[in-house]
Amino acid sequence: MLTVFKHTLSRSRGAIFGWGLTLALLGMMFVPFYDTIVENAAAFEELMAIYPPEIMAFFGGAADFTSPEGFLSLEYFSFMPLVIGVYAVLAGSGMLADDEEKGVLDLIAAQPISRSALFWGRLFSLWAIQLVILAFGWAGVMFATTYSSMVLDPVELLIPFASLGGLLFFFTGLSLLFSMLLPSKRSAGMLSGIFLVASFFLNGLAGLSDTLKEIAPFFPLYYYQSDNWVNGFEPGWLLSLLGFGLLFKLAAWWAFQRRDIRVGGEGGWKLKLPKFLNRKPVEA
Amino acid sequence: MANNNVAIRTQGLVKFYGDFQALYGVDLEVNRGEIFGFLGPNGAGKTTTIRCLLDLIHRNKGEVSVLGIDPREDPVSIKVRVGYMPGELHLDDSLNAEGLLHYFNALRGKSADWSYISELAQRLSLDLKRPIRNLSHGNKQKVGIVQTLMHKPELIIMDEPTQGLDPLMQQEVLKLVKEAQAWGATIFFSSHIMSEVEAVAERVGIIRAGRIVEVADPKKLGSRSLRRARIRFQKNVDRARIEEIKGVSVLSESNGREMLIQVEGEMDALIKALSAYPVSDFETDRPSLEEIFLAYYEN
Repeated sequence: MLTVFKHTLSRSRGAIFGWGLTLALLGMMFVPFYDTIVENAAAFEELMAIYPPEIMAFFGGAADFTSPEGFLSLEYFSFMPLVIGVYAVLAGSGMLADDEEKGVLDLIAAQPISRSALFWGRLFSLWAIQLVILAFGWAGVMFATTYSSMVLDPVELLIPFASLGGLLFFFTGLSLLFSMLLPSKRSAGMLSGIFLVASFFLNGLAGLSDTLKEIAPFFPLYYYQSDNWVNGFEPGWLLSLLGFGLLFKLAAWWAFQRRDIRVGGEGGWKLKLPKFLNRKPVEA
Repeated sequence: MANNNVAIRTQGLVKFYGDFQALYGVDLEVNRGEIFGFLGPNGAGKTTTIRCLLDLIHRNKGEVSVLGIDPREDPVSIKVRVGYMPGELHLDDSLNAEGLLHYFNALRGKSADWSYISELAQRLSLDLKRPIRNLSHGNKQKVGIVQTLMHKPELIIMDEPTQGLDPLMQQEVLKLVKEAQAWGATIFFSSHIMSEVEAVAERVGIIRAGRIVEVADPKKLGSRSLRRARIRFQKNVDRARIEEIKGVSVLSESNGREMLIQVEGEMDALIKALSAYPVSDFETDRPSLEEIFLAYYEN
């Protein structure tokens, strides 16, 4: 398992630096705007007052954007679930299915390594990669405070990143599970992606509709906490995201033990549909 | 099912892919230390059988034993002792050949002797420093062969090992197979090239449409094999006279001067008979395996 872990980590250097630097640069880019906001707080408050309530609700309601917490919540953490979610979907759906569809997994699985060791070696490596990427994001924001007036407690800033990590864990697990159950990596990624985007919009608009508000708790974005790190952080919500993520991963592991490994060039298998959906067209 | 003299045994092996049945009860026995050729046309079930042996795919029915172990029970113990060369070889192209072999060797608990890996690479004219992504199909195939043999396994399973290699390299691979047998390995290799199997195999299993049709001595199979010949005569020759020759049937003729014939078994009778005619050209060819199967196993 250690060999698989180290090999996966080594071949993912590009992903670590690519995604990690993207997160870090986003933080470094947005934090300096805080100075402008604070200097012109009155004007910005007037501007925000005329914003349509839909937009304000979408970005977390009427948070105090002149506080570091409120500002980061609005400008950085509000869209981060989409950025990190896309990465999670790609990483989860591709963890095994990518190599399988390329035909590489066939030869690896023929080496003396159990499927469990292969699965967990890769998954542990993925967790390590994701921790490093989040650490890059955190470091980017903290570094930006050195050339901005924003004052942040480095330990407190870990809280929203932990929540982001919870989402990452959830969507990695979901897309990994889909990749074990669905015909191809593409279909797994597509389904998880649709769920991510739907969840993002549904949660963003939940403040405007009672119906959406009732549905929102059934979607993971509801449990993402980007605006209440100091007061009101719910550890149970983070644990829920982590718990479901782990559950999906365990289910994916179970499925991986029981499925055939596709041979190179075989492509996706055909999803078995109910007979009434699979009816052949009648020939004239 | 335990028998120390048997390296591979399958009984009633059945495999479905969804609704499609790929194997219909394959019964096979490969003895320890022998070179066993597994012959069949494309889509016959060779790769499916091989992948069941290594638990890469799960059988639906039947029993399988590899080196005395059921692959469903303990696949890792089998894989430690087996070298496998897949038919559709795809390699991790983030590494060079050396890096990939180091990775596989690490997965094997570093059981391979690196000097033997270098020797294999040298014999196959393979540059280990080149990135996998820059290797030709043939060179990737060579990497596959090296990783199959590098730990001197007890059982070597190769699925179409020589495809994509030039004739000289094909000969070298068959030589390596013979050498592996000398150190005591059992070799089970699939092919759809009759001549290749004839050259090294001691026994041949023939699979067609998911069923073992026959297990035979390759020499016996060779003597029964079909050949085609195209003959051009300097003057018209009566077709009936040619058809009288033992084992010969005329497939087509043009103006009595050119004939396409099929010869079953040895060519001796034909060659002797043709000496009585003015022959200007004579070309022979082996029909495809599928054609041979159609001829012999039609029913």
